[in-house]
Amino acid sequence: MQMDANASARTKKRLLSIAHKVALFLAMLIICLPGIWIVLASLRPTVEIMAKPPVWIPQELSLNAYVSMFSGVGKGGIPVLDYFRNSLIISITSTVIAIIIGMAGGYAFARFRFKAKSGLFLGLMLTRTVPGIALSLPLFFVFARVGIIDTHFGLILAYVALNIPFTIWLIDGFFRQVPKDLAEAAQIDGCTRWQAFWQVEFPLAGPGIASAGIFAFLTSWNEFALASQLTRSINSKTLPVGLLDYTAEFTIDWRGMCALAVVMIIPALTLTFIVQKHLVGGLTSGAVKG
Amino acid sequence: MRDLLAGLAAGVCILALASGAQAQDLPGKFEGVTIDAKLIGGQQYEALYARIADWEKATGAKVNVLSKKNHFELDKEIKSDIASGSVNWCVGSNHSSFAPQYPGIYTDLSVLLPKSEIDAFVPANIKASTIDGKLVMLPRAQFDVSALYYQKSLYNDEAKKKAYKEKYGEDLVPPDTWEEVTRQAEFFTAPPDFYGTQFAGKEEAINGRFYEMLVAEGGEYLDKDGKPAFNSDAGVRALDWFVNLYKAKAVPAGTTNYLWDDLGQGFASGTIALNLDWPGWAGFFNDPKSSKVAGNVGVKVQPKGSSGKRTGWSGHHGFSVTENCANKEAAASLVWWLTNEDSQKLEASAGPLPTRTAVWEWDIEQAKGDAYKTEVLKAFQEAAQNAFPVPQTAEWIEISNAVYPELQAAILGDKTSKQALDTAAEKATQILQDAGKL
Amino acid sequence: MKNWKLSAPFLLLLPSFIVLAAVVIVPLLLSFYSSFTPFRLTKPESFFVFIGLRNYINILSDWNFWVAFGRTVLLLTIALNLEMLLGLGLALLVEKASRGQRILRTIMMFPMMFSPILVGFQFKFMFNDNIGLVNNALQALGITNNAIPWLIDGTLAFIAILTAEIWSSTSVFAILILAGLLAMPREPVEAARVDGCTPWQTFRYVTWPFLMPFAYIAMTIRSLDVARAYDIVKIMTDGGPAGRTELIWTLVARTGYSDARMGVANAMAYFSILLSILFTVYFFRKLAAARTQIGAEW
Repeated sequence: MQMDANASARTKKRLLSIAHKVALFLAMLIICLPGIWIVLASLRPTVEIMAKPPVWIPQELSLNAYVSMFSGVGKGGIPVLDYFRNSLIISITSTVIAIIIGMAGGYAFARFRFKAKSGLFLGLMLTRTVPGIALSLPLFFVFARVGIIDTHFGLILAYVALNIPFTIWLIDGFFRQVPKDLAEAAQIDGCTRWQAFWQVEFPLAGPGIASAGIFAFLTSWNEFALASQLTRSINSKTLPVGLLDYTAEFTIDWRGMCALAVVMIIPALTLTFIVQKHLVGGLTSGAVKG
Repeated sequence: MRDLLAGLAAGVCILALASGAQAQDLPGKFEGVTIDAKLIGGQQYEALYARIADWEKATGAKVNVLSKKNHFELDKEIKSDIASGSVNWCVGSNHSSFAPQYPGIYTDLSVLLPKSEIDAFVPANIKASTIDGKLVMLPRAQFDVSALYYQKSLYNDEAKKKAYKEKYGEDLVPPDTWEEVTRQAEFFTAPPDFYGTQFAGKEEAINGRFYEMLVAEGGEYLDKDGKPAFNSDAGVRALDWFVNLYKAKAVPAGTTNYLWDDLGQGFASGTIALNLDWPGWAGFFNDPKSSKVAGNVGVKVQPKGSSGKRTGWSGHHGFSVTENCANKEAAASLVWWLTNEDSQKLEASAGPLPTRTAVWEWDIEQAKGDAYKTEVLKAFQEAAQNAFPVPQTAEWIEISNAVYPELQAAILGDKTSKQALDTAAEKATQILQDAGKL
Repeated sequence: MKNWKLSAPFLLLLPSFIVLAAVVIVPLLLSFYSSFTPFRLTKPESFFVFIGLRNYINILSDWNFWVAFGRTVLLLTIALNLEMLLGLGLALLVEKASRGQRILRTIMMFPMMFSPILVGFQFKFMFNDNIGLVNNALQALGITNNAIPWLIDGTLAFIAILTAEIWSSTSVFAILILAGLLAMPREPVEAARVDGCTPWQTFRYVTWPFLMPFAYIAMTIRSLDVARAYDIVKIMTDGGPAGRTELIWTLVARTGYSDARMGVANAMAYFSILLSILFTVYFFRKLAAARTQIGAEW
């Protein structure tokens, strides 16, 4: 009897675990499918991608799209290295700055009491409600007057502003999760507030800062509406704007576009893969109340 | 004082000499001049820009490319520049359909360049580049007019020939009227795998297609006073052509969401029998790497409407020089360089249609021995003879945006053609009134 | 000492204020002003003609504007709710996995790496009625013999857009909720289990209240960032056909740039900002409530 109960519990557990694995697999498949399709589209000749009846199993794979992408302007290529450099500089710099400013702001909201706090907080968030499409022209006016159109600086500035509200928000949320007494205890132990912050609160808010960083980076890396208005040439054009190099007035080179998309996704994927480790790091470096 | 006068006189002389020399032999000498340019970007257009370096070498000037963007993004950028008063560059890419929207920013090139050079272009292209008497751009070898692509095998199929003859009492040959297109499209259609034809279904594209059909039916878009006149009987007939094909399910159901890329991919996928399309696709359609119908593509001049006129909505790319430009001679020389015979040959050899008479001849000569290319060029040369630009009003794009949802509503059956056109005409009238044109 | 306490948050927040003022507030005032003018991009002088509330009166009495407005609200409501549910499910699935966490988390965030315009092109091709992946698959599996006009029929197009939007944004919810799960203290869950709670009860009364603030943060971030959907919709249907999928952003963009009527477009944009503010304030209050609910020393 006892054995039976155990056995049935074990079967149930195994069934649950299988169900979990199946569900997980399906979810991942759905997420990946469009991505896989893009990777495949960049490797297959157009005739196969747009075929009807469809060709489900790729017959012919080649790197031609990539080769021609790098083969220089005028030979079917685009200045992909310039775009890549611009994207990298702009995204990384704006992410770092947004994180620093966001940490300062988030800490202020999480740890201090001051007048009109929630009103201020809400106001900060609301700056983000302005749709990019409404912002792009007036921003262009201002930037044109100051003379920072088509520069890295202009786009970095815009992206920092774009990312600050939710960086503050996220980091605020995570700082709140770190019990106040931890820092206070450290201060009693003789740390300055500054030391207490870096040695106690900062590591514990790690996951929050990591995810805020991922968000900020991906937002900047993929942003299109503002970039298309504020960039003009290889001085500052970023990869998402570069995607449109594959469209002409009447034609579109979907295969080339997919190839550029893959080039765009790989660094983002790599970075995410590296940074998400810190999400785990934040967890394993001690339970929150540790 | 005398020194000053002498200096001035010398300066005037040099200027006169320089401009005199310039009119004589292009490209001229512009040592130390820098020309800021905004160019249309994208693979198809870039090959030409390699020749800018040669111009720099020949003239001693420098070209500074401020921006390179696709057509629509560039349009947005130029409008933003006008709005913020920052048109401080010299040379810009332009397009005949968009040019009327930028009033006053571009200068008259006919006074900057010798007449013989301008006469070397196809007269119709020069006419389409002239707005209010000003030649605002020089056309490059990117001329667009549509011809009819079709799958040859369909017309060699004995069973189909017989069935068609029995059904309609006439031979199955590539169509020469839009009425025949409708008949054959319905005849060939076998959904969901095969459709008779297709058409661009949104934005300026459907409005342009409707416009040319309207002309072919004997109507006009704006009357001589500039008032919208497309809600005429001819207008209803023109729109009904689209409506009836959609109703008969002889076009893919998604056609009202198609733009040029969808159409091109659709024909290349081998699921469309007849396809009115642009010259830019000719190579794509016949390349086995990109198209399933490669080797099976026929091209024919675009069909006629009931008035006996052929459709022929056309446009072309070109380059303009701004009024604000400090050194218009140098800028004009660059524009000339990018559209001269060698430049046009370079562009035309990759497929696009030239806008210089001599390059057309050269192009056809080059195609000798290549049956497909010869067929394409012949068809498009004939197509070009029937070409006409969009009405030259600054509000064309805005009117397009107001009209196309109405056209779609009629095609999808939400409204009758007459209702849709009446509403559209009302909106277009309002736009023109708001702009102070009526 | 008290003085120091007052100024510290001010100093900490100063950089954010400066950047936001430069990039958001100033341009915003400019466009706010222009919403009271008949400003046309191609006629710069029209920027200085003041016409009062005419733009606002015009758009508010335009039925098409209200339809677009309503459709936008509907799209947002459905999309945000579904994204939250799916995101929660995804986060729980990933958290439970005993192996391959790194890979799983990276894959989970995969859609975030797609630029919205790419998502637009991708789903437009997938939902193409003639040669699209979706119809090809349905036909190959024998589910249908028709070419389903995904992007034509109003409801189907709405679903197609919703799919693209949900695919691209569920990750945001998933990653935030997952971060919440990871930051969650173990003791309460252990305690609940010891007390004999069922897994559902544990989830409902211990885990979920703790996750709520994260869910609302995600919700708010998303509702702030929804205009991101503009790039997707612009490429998939651009509001068409016959205005069947017109959203407020596609309307604003077309009026502003293509028609060059920036004055009217800005009036519409301002009105649509109201919508975002409403959503944001709503979630913000939910967030505050959720925080009070878990109490703690917040």
